[in-house]
Amino acid sequence: MRFGFMVGILGGFLLAHAGYATIQYRGMLKIVEEEFSCPPMNVVIGLLLGLALCIWAALASPAKFKSIHPDSEENRVVSLPANLDFMIFNHRGKVFPSNAEFKLKK
Amino acid sequence: MAGEGDLRTSAKESEDDLPILNAENLQSNIKSVYYSRTFLSIIGGVVAGIWGFTGLTGFVFYFLVMAVASLGLAAKAKFSVNKYFDSWNRILIDGVFGGLMSFVLSWAFAYDIVHIF
Repeated sequence: MRFGFMVGILGGFLLAHAGYATIQYRGMLKIVEEEFSCPPMNVVIGLLLGLALCIWAALASPAKFKSIHPDSEENRVVSLPANLDFMIFNHRGKVFPSNAEFKLKK
Repeated sequence: MAGEGDLRTSAKESEDDLPILNAENLQSNIKSVYYSRTFLSIIGGVVAGIWGFTGLTGFVFYFLVMAVASLGLAAKAKFSVNKYFDSWNRILIDGVFGGLMSFVLSWAFAYDIVHIF
């Protein structure tokens, strides 16, 4: 997921760079007094590359899809041993001689 | 185990049509699709603004980006949509019109920054 973020940030930088290059191109066009029709070819390539990187980051960085079938392999409940109700503590209390005739002190 | 077996047989023999789904995972998947689409709408708007699209061309570009996103989401679900969602609509159609507003906002914003100011 971290790698997806990095790719997304890289795509964002590419787009910002393309935007800055387009602003400079328009400034240059104003000096030469021509109409703006389309950004230069390298800016278009940068835009498409930035878009491709951002598409990849948008698909890869949110959470992976999890299966919705309740009986699929990855949805098994495996935390049973951690439940205190099912813990068994073996102790040696059973070797103590227990005398059923002992009575509680009154 | 007796408990599991009972659950499965009762699911098959129940009268209603709704299959038993893990709702928490389904919701997580739907959220993930929504995040992807929203982020791509904004990025698509920035690209359309920098490129200088005006009018209908921009909307055509938006639907193109959404179509590519749908393809990517279907590929992420390994093309077996029934394993992760309850219908095809969830990854093909949901969120396309919600993202349109974000697209227009970022398109106008980027266009203004690059071409007007």
